[in-house]
Amino acid sequence: MRDLMRLPGARLVQHALLAFAVWAVMMWVNGSVDELTNYYIALIAMYATAMFGMVILVGLSGQVSLGNGALMAIGGYIFALTTLNWQTIPFTSIPMNGIWAMLFAAIGGVVFGLVIGLLGARLTGPYLAGLTLGIAVGIPAIANRFPGLFGGETGLQLTVPYPDGGYSTVAETSGEQFVTELPTSQDALPSTGASAGAGDLLTVDNFPSGDASAMASVAPGDLLTVDNFPSSEPSALASVAPGDLLTVDNFPSAGATPDPSGIDVGVVDTSTGTGTDGLDLGFVLERWEASLAIAVACIVGFIALNLVRGRQGRVWRAVRDDPVAAAVSGISPAGSKVTAFMVSSVFASLAGAVFVQILAYVGPGAFGLGLSLSLLVGIVLGGRSSLVGAIIGAVLLVWLPEFVLGLAGDRGWDEQVTNNAPNLIYGLLVVLVVLVAPGGIVGTLQALVGRIFSRSSRSG
Amino acid sequence: MTQLLDYVLGGIGSGAIIALMALALVLTWRATRVVNFAQVGQAMFTTFIALSIQTLTGNWFVALIGAIIAGAILGVIVQYLVLRPVKRMDTSGAIIATFGVLIALQAAAGMIWGGDSQAFPQPFGNTALTVFGREWPLSAYDLVVIGFAAVMVVALTLLFTRTSLGLAMRATAFNPEVARLSGVRVGRTLTIGWALAGVVGGVAGVLVAPTSAISPNSFDILLVFAFTAAVIGGLDSLIGAVALGIGTGLVLSVVSGYSDSSNAPVAALVLLALNLAIKPEGIFGHNKARSV
Amino acid sequence: MLSITDLSVRYGPVQALSHVSLDVPRGEVTAVIGANGAGKSTLMRTLAGLVKPESGSASLDGNVLTGHRAEDVVRMGVALVPEGRSTVPELTVDENLRLGGLWRSKTERAATHAEVFDMFPVLGERRKMRADTLSGGERQQLAIGRALMCDPQCLLLDEPSLGLAPLIVTQILELVKRLAAEVNIAVLLVEQNAVTALRVAHTGVVLNLGQVVMSGTASDIASHEELRHAYLGY
Repeated sequence: MRDLMRLPGARLVQHALLAFAVWAVMMWVNGSVDELTNYYIALIAMYATAMFGMVILVGLSGQVSLGNGALMAIGGYIFALTTLNWQTIPFTSIPMNGIWAMLFAAIGGVVFGLVIGLLGARLTGPYLAGLTLGIAVGIPAIANRFPGLFGGETGLQLTVPYPDGGYSTVAETSGEQFVTELPTSQDALPSTGASAGAGDLLTVDNFPSGDASAMASVAPGDLLTVDNFPSSEPSALASVAPGDLLTVDNFPSAGATPDPSGIDVGVVDTSTGTGTDGLDLGFVLERWEASLAIAVACIVGFIALNLVRGRQGRVWRAVRDDPVAAAVSGISPAGSKVTAFMVSSVFASLAGAVFVQILAYVGPGAFGLGLSLSLLVGIVLGGRSSLVGAIIGAVLLVWLPEFVLGLAGDRGWDEQVTNNAPNLIYGLLVVLVVLVAPGGIVGTLQALVGRIFSRSSRSG
Repeated sequence: MTQLLDYVLGGIGSGAIIALMALALVLTWRATRVVNFAQVGQAMFTTFIALSIQTLTGNWFVALIGAIIAGAILGVIVQYLVLRPVKRMDTSGAIIATFGVLIALQAAAGMIWGGDSQAFPQPFGNTALTVFGREWPLSAYDLVVIGFAAVMVVALTLLFTRTSLGLAMRATAFNPEVARLSGVRVGRTLTIGWALAGVVGGVAGVLVAPTSAISPNSFDILLVFAFTAAVIGGLDSLIGAVALGIGTGLVLSVVSGYSDSSNAPVAALVLLALNLAIKPEGIFGHNKARSV
Repeated sequence: MLSITDLSVRYGPVQALSHVSLDVPRGEVTAVIGANGAGKSTLMRTLAGLVKPESGSASLDGNVLTGHRAEDVVRMGVALVPEGRSTVPELTVDENLRLGGLWRSKTERAATHAEVFDMFPVLGERRKMRADTLSGGERQQLAIGRALMCDPQCLLLDEPSLGLAPLIVTQILELVKRLAAEVNIAVLLVEQNAVTALRVAHTGVVLNLGQVVMSGTASDIASHEELRHAYLGY
């Protein structure tokens, strides 16, 4: 934060405007596409959030880490456990809600980032990669050790604290689509251990099933309005005021209590038809998830932008390029690396908290080695040291499996080939990019543009 | 006390496997100063090839020989296509490239053989041996595994200390320029190092498969164990890799025995973290693990 | 004889050597002297095949060396002892020597091995010790011994005096001079310490900014006062 203060105010405003503009455009896009696209947008924004941290850690600070998937797990579990177990924030009477849970996830990120950073920041390349590999494999395994607390291999179902009131319904068809399309995105990369479970993370059956009494007031097929909506506080609606970037409030927070009367996805799935009423019109679960993910991604992106383009970014690059020279100039290489770990860890935790809300589930299978590897794949393909590259990488991670699925449908590939084709492509692309274009897509484009400009300036 | 003894003995078999995989990591590290995170991917792929041969011929030894050949070829391919060109780049690039290879190999194996776990036929008895009227936590197969590991370690030690090729490989590992100026064909020597590592890893895969099963991801955890052993052993030291590999096997066996096998990865992680925090260069090594 | 014709080397925008021509006859020591950055080491590394020349060529007794890789150049008879006592510290003295000329037959190598121990008795005494336990002078002898194990027709010595005591330097260089005469090999010696180098050399070449600015007998160059002032700084 000290470095933020040193920035010329103009740049801060510039970055804020940029982040706000991206947010506004994405919200507009989000509002005008179908549910499936909403879902993809949510995943892309979630990946981008985590990968902003990878850009700082791997790209700028030069530390190849595979631990960020595990750090996402930490954020996800903290979010899930605090929302599930706390009615109010301990020692206070403040009611828990999604924002508080995300805040706790971020704090957890700081703590774990500090621990891993202190352990890893002094290590050179392969040692760090190996240690973080161990973390990626080991931390999700801890969930299996304490099934009572963490839900073991099957994980925890989450009653997502989305807003009261205004619930519309998701059409039956989109619900089905949701279920069939999901596994391909989930299985983007092989995950250790519970890979078998990864495919059926989000089937109708394991959607969190609410308290029967809460459902009782709503007959299947009923339109949900504020009136028949279980346990709502209509006043909460007032707080939902889109437009303010810095308050995550635009993902409405009320009703965040893990009260079993909170609405659950099961209700959404059993209901059919679309809302016609003015109040409930427009609430689509995927759209809301995407809004949340976009908001978090924009805030994190804004912070990352300031760090990367500010003094801290120069420090990271200096340490990466020549730690001795940096140390001679009065920079602590170890300190700068720990900082990179902490920042990327906070971003990863927030992404993890968003991820579990998208999945309405948290479990070791979702956060295996595969997730860590896919984050690495994403930033390498997009461009290791570019925030834009992280966004491009996130898009690639979500788009490629869908593209392959489409292709497979056209060509009639069998399932075995289709399921593995995206990873084969990722693996080969990563090798190819490292060999031929280490800057990834963004780096290559920059080089091309630079060449064109230098040529035109020479000829002109 | 006898229970502890049983746990310790029970760890020797898996320790030998970890030792072999750690040995493979050390071989590639010594050859090219790259930790090959794709090593278990290569071993997994090799083991699937061996499984196919086994299914075809029904002969375990033919399958093992097939794995040795396939492991060598795969090692050469990976080194030649990926690491040779990438060596000129930064270390991050080399590390990332090995992970790229790992992802691609796992996906390719999934495409060819499917993602489900498959049983690898048991070539020798896997029932506990009874000697001196007592049942020991070791099977005939465990003894075969230990025997194979011992033979490979002895063979490698002789290769490195007694032959011209071994001398060339050691010199290339420590100072490639002087090796080159002495007339050693460095590129070829590095490739042989990778081929050897591929063989050792492949044999480890074939040996471990009957006791667990094999799927594209089933060796991931072995990578963590082997890396732990190799790093604590010093990454440079063949003896270190073997000693710490077996040691890691014993520790994990004891931890699993007294608590639960799902604690093994965490135990390995704790071992690795402690080592890196206290003595990152390892017990037998003199590598620079820390940069600052 | 080692002949260098019109050799140029470029590192990106930097012209490290430009149009260098010189002959190194057998049985003699030819000294290349010049200030830091004159291109001396580049010349040696190019001859040894570690650096690719931009243009020009070098040949040994009519066999073209340029374009071959270092491991082949040494097999053709040109052995480089690079700057900085380059041995493999982790290997023993014996192993360092065995490393040289692994492609030669066992009997040939055994013979050279014995000759090297004759020439550098201290290495024989320390044969089982790791190279990193040797003193600077001993390591330099080991480095030269390793090069000799390759049975060179031409020996390239890059700054053998670096960091060594003057007495040891004199000993080593005298030995090199004797070697050139007795075994009839061509020796190219690069030195920053011009006085020492010209004392043992027959011929001298002065390099400045990648170009040969003067060549002649060692005594001519040593007595050329303007040259000394301009390029050698003493």
